[in-house]
Amino acid sequence: MKKIFYILSILFFAKNSVAQVNTNLVLSPNPPASLMQWGVSRETLTFIVFPSAQGIRGEYKIKTEIKLSDGTVIGKTDLNKSKTYTLSSATTIFNAADVVPLESMIFTGKHKTSLEKSGKLLSDNYEICVQLVRPPDFAPFSEIKCKTFYLAATQLPILMKPYNQEELDYDIAKTTIIFRWTPVVPKPKALVTYKIMVFEVLQNQNPVQAVRSNFPILTQEVRGVTQYIWQPRGVVDLSDNNVKDSAMQQRKGLDGTVKGGSKKYVWIIQSFDNLGQPLGDGNINADGVSEPTVFFVRQKVKDIKIKDTDKQ
Amino acid sequence: MELVFRNKIFVLTKTSKMKQPIICLFLLTSLGLSAQDKKSKVSVSGNMGVTYEGYGLNRNPTGWTGYSQRKPWNQVRFTFQPTITTPKFSLPFNFNFNTTPTNFIGPYAGIGKQSFGQYITNPSNNFAVNPKYKWAELQLGTQYLNYSNLSTGDVGVFGAGFDLRPDVWRLKFFTGVSQQGVNFFSGGANGSYKRKNWMAQLGMEKEDSYALLFNFAKGKDDKNSIPLPPPGSVLPQEGFTMSVVGKVNIKGGWYLSTEGAQSIYTKDLFLPTSATAVTIKPFLDGNTSTVKDFAAEGMVGRKSKNFDIGVKVKYIGAGFQTVGYPFMQPDRMDYLLNTRFNAFKNKTNVTASIGQRVNNVSNTALKAKQFIGKLNWFSQINDNWSVNINYNNFGFQSNSGINPFGIKNVSNDFGIAPTYTWSNTKMVHLLSLSYNYSKYDERDVITGLTTSNNTHTGLLTYVPSFLTKDLTPDFSVMYFINKLPGFKTTLATISTGLALPAMKKKLQLRGQLQYTFSKNNTFTANNNFIASCTIDAKLNKKTTWTNFLSTNYFKHGNELGLPFIGANYLESNFRTGLMYRFGK
Repeated sequence: MKKIFYILSILFFAKNSVAQVNTNLVLSPNPPASLMQWGVSRETLTFIVFPSAQGIRGEYKIKTEIKLSDGTVIGKTDLNKSKTYTLSSATTIFNAADVVPLESMIFTGKHKTSLEKSGKLLSDNYEICVQLVRPPDFAPFSEIKCKTFYLAATQLPILMKPYNQEELDYDIAKTTIIFRWTPVVPKPKALVTYKIMVFEVLQNQNPVQAVRSNFPILTQEVRGVTQYIWQPRGVVDLSDNNVKDSAMQQRKGLDGTVKGGSKKYVWIIQSFDNLGQPLGDGNINADGVSEPTVFFVRQKVKDIKIKDTDKQ
Repeated sequence: MELVFRNKIFVLTKTSKMKQPIICLFLLTSLGLSAQDKKSKVSVSGNMGVTYEGYGLNRNPTGWTGYSQRKPWNQVRFTFQPTITTPKFSLPFNFNFNTTPTNFIGPYAGIGKQSFGQYITNPSNNFAVNPKYKWAELQLGTQYLNYSNLSTGDVGVFGAGFDLRPDVWRLKFFTGVSQQGVNFFSGGANGSYKRKNWMAQLGMEKEDSYALLFNFAKGKDDKNSIPLPPPGSVLPQEGFTMSVVGKVNIKGGWYLSTEGAQSIYTKDLFLPTSATAVTIKPFLDGNTSTVKDFAAEGMVGRKSKNFDIGVKVKYIGAGFQTVGYPFMQPDRMDYLLNTRFNAFKNKTNVTASIGQRVNNVSNTALKAKQFIGKLNWFSQINDNWSVNINYNNFGFQSNSGINPFGIKNVSNDFGIAPTYTWSNTKMVHLLSLSYNYSKYDERDVITGLTTSNNTHTGLLTYVPSFLTKDLTPDFSVMYFINKLPGFKTTLATISTGLALPAMKKKLQLRGQLQYTFSKNNTFTANNNFIASCTIDAKLNKKTTWTNFLSTNYFKHGNELGLPFIGANYLESNFRTGLMYRFGK
């Protein structure tokens, strides 16, 4: 009887001591779809372990499960491989790299394939549940804390107008050029800031080189809209027209007419969130820059003139 | 340091890093000019030159920052591009460099004072020599090598390599540095890791007949190249891409071109390795941030003198990333049908394309579709009349996701431009009228309401050409109006230009004047005046001196409100350059 009493007492105290390790989980409601990016943006996930009021010490691991909204577990921590921590007398703050350690997470099915291909989970509603467990039997050491979140891979704008390789009439373009692009998808709740930049492509440069090296002749930020009407006011010019070996390009028209000079430009859109951080969700450059698009400014009327005067 | 060159001794004392390229330029110029002496065997073509560009901006009232600088205050650009040719050997130089870094985007963005290594590899500067002997080419210095559409093509690498083309065989290799380590500087450089690249191509190719090429491209950042990792999202990366290209041209102008590529990309080299990480030894050892995906493109069609037709399909996987195309947008599928034809004895030319682009392909919930339609029709109706008609449609639509309504943006542009020409014995007159209508509809994802943005542009141009004089004037008037709910912008521009030779055609003068009146809603009008002139002088048979001067004065109405009513700026741009042409 005495033994049973002791065992029950130990179990009772053990249970109470587990419940006394308090934790808190904070998660952004729309975190990046790239799980690697969770660790880079440290504010995405924060897991706080408070010190035990009873002065309990011991080792623990962080057990994480990611579930679909129907409860199906699609990823969980491999507790045999995950890191072991020691309960401290001070508050311990973990971030995504500790709570969702990709080196010791096991994903299943199409989610595993998606992660291997793109580093991103499929767009869906998910729930993440985090709990401390004690090695070696992984018995619970804290309550389970869960948060729901929605994942959607951010797609940067696609440049629509001027479209790639479009030739603009100089007589119009010197006064106004209309830029249009698609919005960031999915559209964030806060307004997106789009920075439009135009670069002149100099002689012997390729367009990407111009983007990476030249001073932009247009830098304009607009918020929440996907059109900008630019008045170049002298900066789009054909001043070095007819100068041999200049950036002007003599081009042959469809009908064989030698067309007048044209200048090459490249434009980009850089997208920022409401905190001024570039959007892009783990894109290679991580600077929120969409694929550059080239356009030409050409003196169209002169083409016909050349043709007609040739006939005289 | 002492250099012996063509029996001349050059003593290089301690020089600044900026002067070193200029000394090299001088030495190479000596080589080029000496080579020209042996006229019978050696020829030199190409050019070299120097251009200075100055920029000025005065804003009023003091403290108004509503208008930003658009060019570097001072910039000097050097060009040195001679090609020395002998019957079996050619030596082209391609040196283009400037004195002031102006990087805004990319690894050197915001860089101030550069080290020699940073200067050499800055995309602003090119230093390349490509000696070629028969089918063998040595590639030295900065090279922008385009191996294929999916492997590498957009990144300049400073290094060394070769391009061997014996008969139909192709063997290419190049290795070097595409970017140097740049320390993060608050308010300045973003910071970057030093990146080393290599690329190779192996295969067979017969121009205009067939090709089978295997491409490999690798880039890896040195994570220890800068003392402190830059804060934010600049991470050390590593990528390896391999692709196979197949092309064939067959009788009747038919062609087929395909490429398939696989990329393996590590997004953060600091992350730990994992037993399950994607790895492709010996090229890349993966870690938890490594992804692997593929991309493919194909084209099939027929080309002829008066009729072209082709279909192009391109797929880029969600995780496909290659260091050779840093801005390539992944997760998309494009398909496009292009055609071109000439009719009515070549007096009508039509180009058209229709297709669709699907974005977020991997994301079934937020798949976005973009319709693409383009048409350009030109007809020479008779000796006096011609007309050009164009129509473009771009529609973009995506599912709603977390918003009540999905995105739907539709851009429609229609333009018509009739031109009438008439002439007599002294003059040819050209009168052209162009009208463009542009409509842009955008749906609000919260309310579902669609707003229309309508733009009308009219342009009238008159160009008289004197057959007995060398004057070439032109006149144009443009009217532009843009309306959207609650906002209206009106612009009217008058411009005129004149070109004429002087001093027995040794001087070519061109001038242009432009006045624009613009008005937003009911605010008082803004006024803009632009004047520019170009003076090109032929100093001798081989040397040209070019000059350009422009000034732009803009005065706001009352749209900026107090205290900036009437704010104005004066912008000026001056460019002068000397260009020397090698050879005859």
